Amino acid sequence: MKSDRSVLGVTLLIIGLAVTLPPARALDVDKRLLEIEQKRTELITQLKPAVVSVMGRDPRTKNVIGLGSGVLIDEEGYALTNFHVVSAFGYVTPVMQCGLPDGKLYDCVLVGLDPIGDIALIKLLPGTPGQKFPVAKIGDSDQVKQGEWTLLMGNPFALATDFQPTVTYGILSATNRYINIGKMEYTNCLQVDTSSNPGNSGGPLFNNKGELIGILSAGNVNRRRGNCGAGFAVSINQVKNFLPGLRAGLLMDHATLGASMESETDEGALSRVLVKNVIESDAKRRGLEVGDQLVAFAGRPVFTVNAYKNLLGQFPRGWRVPIVFRRESTRVEALVRLMGATKRVLEEPKGPGGPGGPGGPPRPAPPPPTGPAAKYYVAKKDFANYYFNEQAQKRLLAKLAEHSDFSKLTGDWNLKLGGKLLTGVAPRAITGAISLREKGAADGKSPKVLADIDGLDFPLEPLSTSERSTAFTDPPESGGFVLAMFHWRQFLVYGPKGFDKEAFVHAGVEPFFPPLEDKPNYMKSMILAETIHTKFAGVEGRFYFAPQDNEDWGWKKGMLIGMEVFPLKDEDSCEIVFTDYKEIGGKMLPGRLHVRKAMKKYADFTLTTANLK
Amino acid sequence: MKRLWIACAVLLGLAFLPVPQVTSQTDTAFTAVAQKVNRKIVKVFGAGGFRGLVSYGTGVFINKEGYFLTINSHILDTRDLRIHTYDGTRYHCEVVCREPELDMALCKIKWGARPGEIEDYFDIESALKREPLKAGTNILAFNNMFQLALRDDPVTVQRGVIAAYAPLYGRIGVFNAAYRGHVYVLDAITNNPGSAGGAVTTRKGELIGLIGKELRNELTNTWLNFAIPIHASTEAPDKDGKKIKVSVADMVRLKEEYRPVPPREIAKNTAYHGIVLVPNVVERTPPYVEEVIPGSPADKATPRLRADDLIVYVEGLPVPDINTFNNIMATYPAGSEIKLEVQRGDKLTSITLKLAAPPKSDEKK
Repeated sequence: MKSDRSVLGVTLLIIGLAVTLPPARALDVDKRLLEIEQKRTELITQLKPAVVSVMGRDPRTKNVIGLGSGVLIDEEGYALTNFHVVSAFGYVTPVMQCGLPDGKLYDCVLVGLDPIGDIALIKLLPGTPGQKFPVAKIGDSDQVKQGEWTLLMGNPFALATDFQPTVTYGILSATNRYINIGKMEYTNCLQVDTSSNPGNSGGPLFNNKGELIGILSAGNVNRRRGNCGAGFAVSINQVKNFLPGLRAGLLMDHATLGASMESETDEGALSRVLVKNVIESDAKRRGLEVGDQLVAFAGRPVFTVNAYKNLLGQFPRGWRVPIVFRRESTRVEALVRLMGATKRVLEEPKGPGGPGGPGGPPRPAPPPPTGPAAKYYVAKKDFANYYFNEQAQKRLLAKLAEHSDFSKLTGDWNLKLGGKLLTGVAPRAITGAISLREKGAADGKSPKVLADIDGLDFPLEPLSTSERSTAFTDPPESGGFVLAMFHWRQFLVYGPKGFDKEAFVHAGVEPFFPPLEDKPNYMKSMILAETIHTKFAGVEGRFYFAPQDNEDWGWKKGMLIGMEVFPLKDEDSCEIVFTDYKEIGGKMLPGRLHVRKAMKKYADFTLTTANLK
Repeated sequence: MKRLWIACAVLLGLAFLPVPQVTSQTDTAFTAVAQKVNRKIVKVFGAGGFRGLVSYGTGVFINKEGYFLTINSHILDTRDLRIHTYDGTRYHCEVVCREPELDMALCKIKWGARPGEIEDYFDIESALKREPLKAGTNILAFNNMFQLALRDDPVTVQRGVIAAYAPLYGRIGVFNAAYRGHVYVLDAITNNPGSAGGAVTTRKGELIGLIGKELRNELTNTWLNFAIPIHASTEAPDKDGKKIKVSVADMVRLKEEYRPVPPREIAKNTAYHGIVLVPNVVERTPPYVEEVIPGSPADKATPRLRADDLIVYVEGLPVPDINTFNNIMATYPAGSEIKLEVQRGDKLTSITLKLAAPPKSDEKK
């Protein structure tokens, strides 16, 4: 009791002092500052749970050590980090462990890799069945501006043994930076003065609204000084383009246009960006020549070579984007398919002088994955983790079968077509018929396709070695419509089994273009659709799926909305867009088939009857 | 009484006014300032590119004729000096004047036949008049560190706080700093390759200083981030040895008429101690005494210096290696008495040494 009273006395004394004396200057803080600070700490508390400490087992010491940071982006446990984090031991680590700020350690498996963009997708396994993970809200990195406040979280120097992330606070020093570090290329990246140190790699960069705007990837570490006042984050908008492919377990590649650019002159004001070289590519087929001015790329104007490289680096290999080029007074807009930047083979990074490096001892063989996460890992050439590709294929095909299951219809298919032929001077109405036979008459084994388009017969035996080469691209100007129809049936009836072995791949998403006006806005009409790549007797095919319902085109989510076949290498494909799905012959089938080659319309068919056995 | 009522009413009125979002106010402020200031910064390209010397730096426009201030460095030692402005235009430039005592140089665009005009530049006169800012003031720094920006790319912007306003000239490790006056020491990591000559501004974008060269303390291996104030002035001896005032104000006002002070005589190694150290073979060779020259100050010191002594402190400053020892000794003129602590066997011994003028070359033999 006595002690209580004395405490009271002290309290009173302090209050008394506070009343009689002017408040100390140091405590006289602007209310607004305190408010801002409080908001910031609240924001940090909200963001913290989704920050990941990535750890792996050192092959030499067998200890689990911190490799870097990451951020959860999906309740199922998918998290983004850096490629160089998951390959910190000199090889890609298929299974790891991750600590979360809840203090628990989770088993974790590699999902997808983008080595050039230095991004990896990993998946944390729930600690208890059905556990949902906290996630970061994904922002729009194209909207952020130089000078904005940013928050960086992660586990630098693996300081946090309880996995509470370190928070640093700073501003965006610049946007749209182009940096090339060895094999990695940071395009359109964000530069921050926010302190970033070894171990921050892979960690989230948030804007002041708490939205994820980038993945911290590199610091400018020179002369052993550590943090140099410049950290670089891969922009989240670039990651968005690659994410579906990463989720599908791919080893992803960036793109080249098939042409190199140069400034017209280095003197004076900014000059035009001109084409310096063109190799055999889609760009060349669209008419791009040396000396042409590149005006725009993927909907953005191009003023400098760096700006062009920044734009190009945003896209995965195989994506189709519009380019605008100018030759004298002619302006050409064309859709081009980007080529791969590297051979899609994982070259394992070599530390300078380290194991496996030049002059160093041979790299230790990566130990086989062990632990609970190992069963979610399937090694396969050209994939980061084939397990996730197979899952993605199954999911896509199951959804497709919900709309219509063709797997029992292994007999002959007979289709009747109407519609318009769009080549020639003016469109004209035509009729046609296609029969897709399981077994042709020639040998009684090989399949056979017979198409009658506008009164002309186009027979094709896709497996016959003596087939005329033009048969694969018939009818003329279609790019290979007859062959495409054969691939279509093969896909619907047999799925993966209908194609060359190991050539059936979920390829993430790719831009898909519905039937377009004569002067289309490509960027606006672009649909990012999940894609499956196939091969039949060496002929490549691509199948696109509706990302959501679309009444205008008569699509339901998960339906097959388009396909392409590439009968000849280095030539344009035959594309079919399927629209107006309805019940025909007892199955959900496209009421219309828009056929085009290199975005040039060939025909707009209607499917009148279908007899499928 | 009435007045008081009015005051109250005004206060209440204020309270009912919609209060702007505090966060948005402070969060977007730097974006506008960064855009505004970026237009006044130039990326400088010149000599270098070999032996670890960078060939790029930063500068700030100070008038519409295209004059810009930068840091005096080897980058300017070229006939092919170029800048890139914010809009990506490339200009050829020339040095107008350089002042080693301030470590600054004034350059300008070579316009050729038709002079152009620069639209965005700093108000240099008000920058010259600005009182030194106190420690704790928020600042922004703009520079082209690591040559991250080319053509129309914006320069790097960083934010920080003035950590101190203090003289740069210390005794250790700062021998490469030509400027000896007061600098703004910054808490942001501003002084990187290519940053020198960049702008340090208030948070409103008013110019207060130029980012200095990279500066490392050889003793502690730490790097100093600092800016030379625009209002800087220092004193330096002219050719008659008379002290004159040197200021950035004179440089920017006199321009082509400006005459730099004659270079100082290098004071290095003027005093003689007579200690021969072991060969300086590795980067950090400890200063072991190899030999003491008979009759030299070291020989006459009390007690005498001996071979195999390890010099540990000079005037209380630790000397981990021969380079540091030489650098520190070079700051003492002949006639000064200095105290050394040497390790002899396992004991520390204090030795007082009176430096002498160097013997003539024939005496040395």
